[in-house]
Amino acid sequence: MSLSCIIVEDLQVAANYLKNCCEKSGQVEVRGHFSNVTDALSFLNSNTVDLIFLDVEMPGANGFELLDQIAFSPKVILTTAKSEYAYNAFQYNVSDYLMKPFTYQRFLEALQKIQPSKETISTNSASDHIYIKTDGKLIRLNNDSILYIESMGDYVKFVTLDGKKHITHNTIKNLEEKVSKHHFLKVHRSYIVNLHKIDDMRENLLFIKGNEIPVSKANKADVFRRLNIV
Amino acid sequence: MNNLKTSNSFVFNSEFDTNYLFSLYGDDYHYVQEILDTVLNDFQSLTDNIEYSYSSGNITALKSAVHKIKPVFGFVGLTAVQQQCQQFESICGTVSSPDQLAGEFETLKNKIFHSRQIIEEEKKKLELFNRNCS
Repeated sequence: MSLSCIIVEDLQVAANYLKNCCEKSGQVEVRGHFSNVTDALSFLNSNTVDLIFLDVEMPGANGFELLDQIAFSPKVILTTAKSEYAYNAFQYNVSDYLMKPFTYQRFLEALQKIQPSKETISTNSASDHIYIKTDGKLIRLNNDSILYIESMGDYVKFVTLDGKKHITHNTIKNLEEKVSKHHFLKVHRSYIVNLHKIDDMRENLLFIKGNEIPVSKANKADVFRRLNIV
Repeated sequence: MNNLKTSNSFVFNSEFDTNYLFSLYGDDYHYVQEILDTVLNDFQSLTDNIEYSYSSGNITALKSAVHKIKPVFGFVGLTAVQQQCQQFESICGTVSSPDQLAGEFETLKNKIFHSRQIIEEEKKKLELFNRNCS
């Protein structure tokens, strides 16, 4: 398998080392190295990649701000010298967390974490339903019954047609890959909506059965692409 | 420090953690030379940033500047200096004025200056070694 990636890292020695690891692995093609978020964003506005190796502390915007602004969801491996970003890393559903400097073996382990979930996406996203764990049991939710999904920190809330709210331990980032791409779209860092349930849209808000859902600037273009505008 | 010695291997200054370097680069001494080169190219701007942050009294920027240089010492095998940077970063989080850091800053600054010298020396020795081996 060959993954395309970019490296966002302002420390030259770390970027060079990472490039070397990618080349050595034969599994990752480096499509660019950027030493700040602005340059990386301008590349990602017109290109997509499978994976981003992302430093957190850089001059100007930090790595998490980059993730807030890109319109698609690549896999992310954080490369940092600080362990205190673990909480944010979890929130952003990053695949792994490499403390600089890391060994080549550790780099390979991080790559391995990316591959299985790609398979999971293809099998799960084709399904017409999902199961969620709530109140100690597994509940089946048909795609057609879900209005939207809202982030609540470490939890998410599924709001369904019958007005019920099902809360489960998960993240929007993780769910974005698990739910059917045909039905659902992430419209904001904290929201995934069922495209078939949107009643109307005004400026940066979507309305679903009386519920107001914010649409982020980064996701707006995607929303327009997916709505059947005539 | 643990110094790994194999036949035909380069013997690093004892301040370098040779086993750690080996875990990163194996016995690819050309690559180690390249790493030292890259680090030395960036060294001045990284240390300028530390000096500037300290002299302007900005503890947050100082912490961030030390954080930035920290992994550099890991990449060259100066793991003790890397740890010292980590300790300094932690101290930064506990003080409100740069004056409270004066002693620790002076110690770290000297350590960083000394590190640069030994990286430069090691690079020269390694260049010679690699030339003789090729």
